[in-house]
Amino acid sequence: MARLLVQLKLRLLTNALRSSSRARVGFIVSTFFALVLAVGGFLLLAMLRGNAASVDLSATVFTVFAFGWLILPLLAFGLDGTLDPATLALYPLRTRPLAVGLLAASVTGAWPVANVIALLGVTVGLAHGALGVLVAVVAVLLQVLFCVVLARFITTGLAGLLRSRRGRDLGVFLVIPIFALYETFAQVVPRLAAEGKITATAFDGVDKWLRWLPPGLAAHAIQDASTGHAGTGLLRLGLLAAIVVVLGALWIRSLSHALVAVDTSTQGSAAGGRALPFTHAGIRGTVAGRYLIYQRRDPPSIMRWCMVAILMIVTTVSTIRTPHYHIGLFISAVIGGGMVGALNANAIGLTGPAFGLEATALTGVREMRAYFAGRLIALAAIGVPLLLAMSLILAIGAGHPASWLWIAPVDLGALGAGLALSSLFTVAVPYPMQRRVGSPVPTTGDGYGGQAFGSVFGSLAGVAIATIPLILVVNFTYSLSASVRIPLLVVCAAAYGVLLGWAGARAAAATAARTLPELTQIALASKL
Amino acid sequence: MSEPAIAVLGLRKSFGNKQAVAGIDLSIAAGSLAGLVGPNGAGKTTSLSMMTGLLRPDGGQVLINGHDVWADPAAAKAIIGVVPAEARLFERLSGKELLEYSGRLRGMPAPEARTRAAQLLDVLDLAEDAKRLVADYSTGMRKKVALGCALIHNPAVLFLDEPLEGVDPVSADVIRRLLTRYVSSGSTVLFSSHVMELVEQICDHVSIIDKGKIVATGTTEEVRGGKTLQQAFIDLVGSRAHDEEVLSWLGSSSS
Repeated sequence: MARLLVQLKLRLLTNALRSSSRARVGFIVSTFFALVLAVGGFLLLAMLRGNAASVDLSATVFTVFAFGWLILPLLAFGLDGTLDPATLALYPLRTRPLAVGLLAASVTGAWPVANVIALLGVTVGLAHGALGVLVAVVAVLLQVLFCVVLARFITTGLAGLLRSRRGRDLGVFLVIPIFALYETFAQVVPRLAAEGKITATAFDGVDKWLRWLPPGLAAHAIQDASTGHAGTGLLRLGLLAAIVVVLGALWIRSLSHALVAVDTSTQGSAAGGRALPFTHAGIRGTVAGRYLIYQRRDPPSIMRWCMVAILMIVTTVSTIRTPHYHIGLFISAVIGGGMVGALNANAIGLTGPAFGLEATALTGVREMRAYFAGRLIALAAIGVPLLLAMSLILAIGAGHPASWLWIAPVDLGALGAGLALSSLFTVAVPYPMQRRVGSPVPTTGDGYGGQAFGSVFGSLAGVAIATIPLILVVNFTYSLSASVRIPLLVVCAAAYGVLLGWAGARAAAATAARTLPELTQIALASKL
Repeated sequence: MSEPAIAVLGLRKSFGNKQAVAGIDLSIAAGSLAGLVGPNGAGKTTSLSMMTGLLRPDGGQVLINGHDVWADPAAAKAIIGVVPAEARLFERLSGKELLEYSGRLRGMPAPEARTRAAQLLDVLDLAEDAKRLVADYSTGMRKKVALGCALIHNPAVLFLDEPLEGVDPVSADVIRRLLTRYVSSGSTVLFSSHVMELVEQICDHVSIIDKGKIVATGTTEEVRGGKTLQQAFIDLVGSRAHDEEVLSWLGSSSS
């Protein structure tokens, strides 16, 4: 069974690779990043050798990796086509061999191997002596096994929930706090640690409970074995192994349940009694109305706005209570605009097959302009108040509420640039999305990871460049009195943002009018 | 003779090395209820996608009431309605909102779109579910609301891909009656199906497609040639029967 499922996974990978040259590019990019993770992670952990806090930092890295395993299959990449227990439900498979097979399939691929290689950095950074290295290897393997079982347990558990529409909606909202927690671990903790804001004493507090979590057990087992406490080390490894076994047993139980669980259909209640908004304003208003309804009713859309807000907070954490708080506020505004662009950069793929309905009705540059303008208006109607409100909260948090007045113009410019880039990437780099069982949010279609990476980094970099003039103007107008400066900045920035957004929508419309059939085929290939 | 409502000339499309549609010609008169039948993978959906401006052909021409779909898509799209095989709908709109949205995209005034949406929901037996999200609709309800979206602007020509697949008999009857009424007013319907009984019952014109080529076309009587449509279809396409002796083990309970 294990061999069969590993073969299935490899076949899925090679088939995705054969499907198109784009898929090949995506695969190469994805493999490259896996290689970066493997080498970078290994070096990072290896460099901790001799560091007094090496065990604490290794434990943190192990925990971050575990969170990565927990979140990535749910959130971003849909790494594994073998995640869906329902596809195997018709076959007469016993649960235990099936579980072993699914585990083996889980560890097949570039990312799991990269994970093992990266964590093996502890054999250099943390382990001392032959016993230390031996325990380190076992601890890494157990840690990866723990991550795999945990990821499988969560996705299998959610697969049952995700069968109904309401369950899927709930799943998306579950992702939001998980994402916030992940960002805290992946961004805030390492940054504060690097800046020395997390002192050894503060870290001790974290480590007190971190060391008893499974990833902490793995790291501390290596430390114990390397410092002559082999017994304690082996005890910790034993405890970790026991946790893996218990988690595995829970997973097998949920797997056997998921294989026979009833598909719970949803009886929805009344939702859309009122007339479609803004329909009096032509195609532009109609599209804006539809987009606005989606921003409110479509859980992935709500999640995208929450992610923007979370990332704006996360980027300011290290500077907000320092004299350099304004740098954090600038970066937060740029990230806010950039993420609005990045998360909406594949509008047609995200719309999915329903775009076919729009494509049968719309044609020509004029109608496509109205379409992109409508989309722009709807996103701006939410983006402008959200970014301004987040900046205000952060400015108050920094203890300098008045600084909001000069951050607000940067928000407006960054949002305009983000929306312009999202329109451009929507038509220039469209790719299908898919919703996998086990993932409540739509993820990039197989083999299109490269395009998704390109859109995200392109949007962030583009917004950063587009906001440079604004930041310079904000800095060079200090000498003016606030009563002149602030209104001038707000009006200029708003005009700049509107101009960028408008130009982006126009350029995108011209391309969309030319390539509408091709865009439609991408949308129809989305499995949402 | 008057201009055909749908004229297809040498339409072809390949995906890589596979030729999905190998140069088809079709002529459907206005007021016709025409069926396009063929086995799975014969090229029905690909052909309909090209005829409705959703898939760019490698070659050939499609004229709808004289408007070239690929040279003048605006004029052609304005007079067609499309119901795809898998209903592509905005799941987070209610049935009422979806129909209204469809009408407004077609440039209809808002009050008229609203009125027609309500009337269509009524006729399609969806009035009670008008305020529910499309995401919570059953297959039959989805097909019906998709038909409503395709009809709201009163197109001259309607394309349907497998309109009754997965639809319960009651909903199927509603759809069938609506199509018959629509055609009786002089409009044209072309739909693909592999349910021969249905095609034989309601179509006055049939085209059979196999391996991307039209192998027979004409009135239903002509194509049937005195046989049932099912038999005529099997005779033309071939039953694809293989040597069943190799399955001698099938049905035996001994192993």
